[in-house]
Order: sequence, then structure tokens, then C-alpha cells
Amino acid sequence: MGSIQIQQLTKSFGDTQVLKGIDLDIKDGEFLILVGPSGCGKSTLMNSIAGLEDVSSGDILIDGVNVTDLSPKERDIAMVFQSYALYPTMSVSRNISFGLEMRKVPKAEIEKTVADVSQLLQIEHLLDRKPSALSGGQRQRVAMGRALARNPRVFLFDEPLSNLDAKLRVEMRTEIKKLHKRLGTTIVYVTHDQVEAMTLADRIAVMKDGQVQQFGTPYEIYNNPANRFVADFMGSPPMNFIECVVLDDKLVIESQGEKFELQVAHGEILRHAGLETVILGIRPEMMTEPKPHVMGALVHSLPMQIDVIEPMGPDTIAFGQWNGVEVQARLSPEAGVDAQTKGSISLQVDTSKAVLFDAFSGARLDA
Amino acid sequence: MKSLSTSQRHYKALFITILVLFALVYLAPLYVMLTTSFKGIEEIRSGNILALPETLNVSAWTKAWSSACTGGDCYGLAPYFWNSIRIVLPAVFISTVIGALNGYVLSQWRFKGSNFLFGALLFGCFIPFQVILLPMAMLLAWLGLANTVPGLVLVHVIYGVAFTTLFFRNYYVGIPTELVRAARLDGAGFFAIFRHVFLPLSTPIIVVSVIWQFTQIWNDFLFGVVYSGPGTQPITVALNNLVNTTMGGKEYNVDMAAAVIAALPTLVVYLVAGKYFVRGLTAGAVKG
Repeated sequence: MGSIQIQQLTKSFGDTQVLKGIDLDIKDGEFLILVGPSGCGKSTLMNSIAGLEDVSSGDILIDGVNVTDLSPKERDIAMVFQSYALYPTMSVSRNISFGLEMRKVPKAEIEKTVADVSQLLQIEHLLDRKPSALSGGQRQRVAMGRALARNPRVFLFDEPLSNLDAKLRVEMRTEIKKLHKRLGTTIVYVTHDQVEAMTLADRIAVMKDGQVQQFGTPYEIYNNPANRFVADFMGSPPMNFIECVVLDDKLVIESQGEKFELQVAHGEILRHAGLETVILGIRPEMMTEPKPHVMGALVHSLPMQIDVIEPMGPDTIAFGQWNGVEVQARLSPEAGVDAQTKGSISLQVDTSKAVLFDAFSGARLDA
Repeated sequence: MKSLSTSQRHYKALFITILVLFALVYLAPLYVMLTTSFKGIEEIRSGNILALPETLNVSAWTKAWSSACTGGDCYGLAPYFWNSIRIVLPAVFISTVIGALNGYVLSQWRFKGSNFLFGALLFGCFIPFQVILLPMAMLLAWLGLANTVPGLVLVHVIYGVAFTTLFFRNYYVGIPTELVRAARLDGAGFFAIFRHVFLPLSTPIIVVSVIWQFTQIWNDFLFGVVYSGPGTQPITVALNNLVNTTMGGKEYNVDMAAAVIAALPTLVVYLVAGKYFVRGLTAGAVKG
């Protein structure tokens, strides 16, 4: 069991309000990711859930019980810290058992738990070592072991992978996902890495300036972003944002001195909105080399002059300019080579998944 | 290793020579004290002050320890040595414990006004002894502790806490707050975290605090002479009395032996724990 309800949570440090009324409903067993740029309040929110930080107003409920005024100890939560925060003078095994010891768990049970956890995380051979004698990845495992041993209602992960090198990070990411599948315990996971957010989450809460911008599944967040900030933050390479003049229910794009009209999925909105310009949001993968099997009214052909080519391996990102802003297209490696030699490419632009934002507020127009 | 150029080698030799000279100047009094203490009184009068003793004569040492006169009494330094021990041990222990707890709170459990409180405590490091002599005498009298060992312990604890707090606070401030957070989530309380997480990390700074406090309190003369009674004088006061009490000729050998006896404990403490002292003072200065 471990459902969490966060209701109208605010937190101020002096005059600065870092959390401005957070509402989140986290289901039992859910893998929730809090993601956002640094300073968005995600770590404060996590510390508030843990009870390490007092809140200014609002409530936190775990399994329906209001825990807002309870100490961290009474909340039955375990946390994995960014710095791991292993006790430097204790052996790995005591690091894992310390929480149980403090909770007066019988000795035999502690020993069994330490054995089980260390086997699960494959750290049995490290049990007698001190944290200083471990590598980064091993420390990470021990920190997880310490959290696991307690068998809490909720796990909190505070950017646990950010101190690992790129390869290890990907490995541990998969391992954490497997672990969640196996244990089924609720996880709240803070990260600023949108790839981690997409790959791990059941649901993602995208935060900015102390507010939740959008709360939804990775699919919803990626394909149906609530505003320009969310659309920009999620996805790599990022979504293209092109300010376009509105012409009836179509958008105008200028490339290499020529003007092209683009039809979009919800064109009728444009006709009634009475806006002179809007922001067209389109992901790079919807701008590709011509693929003959994709057809329809929303598939256009537009030229683009190539400024830079960045081969990524599986695909190649091509940079060019439309309407005076930089745009990125995702090409196959072969098309990338071809485009580079020619210096320009005729792109196939599919607007079926494109989204429209207000040019000033960044709000979604077509949602 | 990079080989040194000729001029660099010359500089190095020059520096070493200067350092050796300084060390000799510094050690000369100790040498004179030790050699003189083993000489007979005749040998001192007739011989060179820098000469080695002809025979190892320990009679001055036994006299200084057990039968030299300090004012009216002639029991040597022994009773006062034990007085000092009775003052120093509890005072060092108590001030170190309080300093450790203060430092733990001021670094890891910040509260509104904790920085001000720390600043105020630091101020205690700069109060000259003389300023508090009278008010402290009145306080001790009011507490009924005037001229007693507990009274002296109290004075030294109060004076020492400013320093020990500074030591521990600056040491603990380098320990990440996340450790406290992790321990709190693990279910440990204020004292459990101190005992299981902080205390095992504290050996170097405990050593610093103990050496510092031991040296300060053992060597203290002013408080010792003002707040002690006839039976509770510390060894520094007794040494002064011993040197100033003359029956017939001045016994330099006994004076020297007495001075070495009075200085010996601090020397021993430093020799035993000295390597931790430097380590502890520099710990936290460099991020590990």
C-alpha cells in the first residue's frame, strides 16, 4: 500500500514561494516522475513528502491518512539521495541494516533482510566494505539496498543517477524499472533528465516555477503537451517552434524566399481565433526525407536549406531555417549524407501531430 | 621527482639552516632545564650552564615531587599535581562533550537565530580573563563553589565551550546534511544520529578539542590563583609558590625539575595525540 494525495501544497522560504499550490494524486504502486528545470521546486516537493521539510500550507495524505505533521520516521518512507548519503563509518551491511536497527527489528530478521536485499542487488561481496571503498555504481546499489531493506510504503528517489557515467546510468535506469515491476511499491522519482522521465514513468508531473504544468502519462506529455513549456522540455532533440502568419485556416511558412501554405489538424480553430500569428509546434521526427507510403492532406513537401548536419547514429539531425527561426529535421543517415552533399533537402512535413500555441502566452490553442 | 636547480638547492639549504637555528633557540631553555635539574647545587654554582651533568643526580626531582616547600607546606608538587588532574579531566571532558553537541546542533540542526547564537558564542573566545575575574568570583561565591575544585571546573568549562563549539561546529559543517536526512528517514532521532553517524566521524576533532582544552586548563595560572583555596591549588600556582619560597640558597635544580614536572603532562598529551591535532585542524579545509 502506498497511495499519496497532495492537496493545495504551498511552501515558502521567506518571501519566495517555491511551491504554489501543488495537487497530485499518486496511485498505489505507481511510478511517478517529477521533472523540471533546476529551481522548479521538485526537490522541495519531494522533501515535503518525506517530511524533511515543513510545508507552509496544504496537506499530504499517505493511504488516506494525513501525514502533514508527522515526522519522517512515522511516515514509513525510504529515500535514495543524489549523493547516496551512505554512513561513511559503517560497513555496507550496517548501512543497509541501520534503519531496521533503529526500528528495533529482531536481529535474525535483520540478517535475513540484509541477505535478501544484497542478493537482489548483487552486492553480497561488498557487505564488509566501507562506502569509501566502493565505486559510484556500487554506492548507488547500496543506497538502494538501504531503502529496499526497510520495505516502506513509498520510495523516494532524488536524482539518483545523476552522479553516474552515461553507460552506467542507462543500466541502472533499466534496473530501477525492473525493480519497480518486481516490488510494485509506489515510487516518486525526481529528475531533470527528460529521457529518464519518459522511460521510467507511469505518469509524469512536469513542474516549473513551483507549479505543476502537466500531469499525465509519458505518451500524453509527449504527444499532447499542455503548453509550450512542456512541449519544449520533453523530447530530444526538442520540438520546433515556428511562428507562422495565419491565412484563413492555414499557416504560412517561408523557406529559401518562397512561401508555402501548411494545413493543420485543427485548422478551423485558426479561422475563429482571429489571431494574426500562432506558434506551430512540430517534433523533428515529423519532418523527414520523403517517405512515399505516408500520404494525406496533412502531409506536405517543403524545401529546407541545410545549415548543419548532426549524425546521431540511428538517425541524423538536419538544421535549417524557416520563418527566420532555426528548425531541426530528423533524417535517415542516408538521407542525411545526401542532404549534406546537396546543401538542401525537400522535407516531408506531417502536421497530423503538430500542435498550436498562442504566440504570447504559450498556451495550447488546439487542445 | 623533479631535480632542483643549483640556486634552488642553495635556497633550500638556507631555509633549512634558518629553521634549525630557530629550533635550537627554542630548545635551548628546555636543554638547560633538563641538564640543570640533574645537577647538584655545587655543580650548578661552579660549572658552565650549558655543560652536561657529571652524574645523573635525581635528588632534585624527588625533592620537587614530594618534599619541596610551597609557601608554608613542604609536601612537594605531588598534591597539587593531583589537584590539577582533578580539575583538568572533568573540565576537558565536559567542555568537549558540550562543544560537540553545540557544534552538532549549530551545523546540522539550524534554527532561527542559530547563526547569531554561534556568533555570540564565538565572542566568548575573545573575552580577556581579567575582565570576568570579579563577577565570576561573585558567581562562584553565590553558588557556594568558591575555592573548590568543582568551582574551577565550572570556570574552565564555561571558558572552554566557546572554543570547543567553534572546533566541532566547523568540523561538522563539512558533513553533508543529507546524512542527517537519511538517518532521520531511517528512523534515528537526534541523539541516535549523533551517536551512530557523527561521533564515529569525530576522532580527529575530539583529539583537537582534548589537546587544546588540556593545554589551556593545565597551564592556566590566573583562574587557578584567584579561585582556588589552600587545598585546591593547581600545579601552576604551586610551582610559582615553590620557586618563590626560599629557605637558604636558591635551589635551581629543584626549580627546574618542578617546572619540567608541571609541563610534562601537556607534553605527553601532545606527543601521544599530536599527529591527529594537525590532521584535525586542517580537516574540512580541503574538500575530500
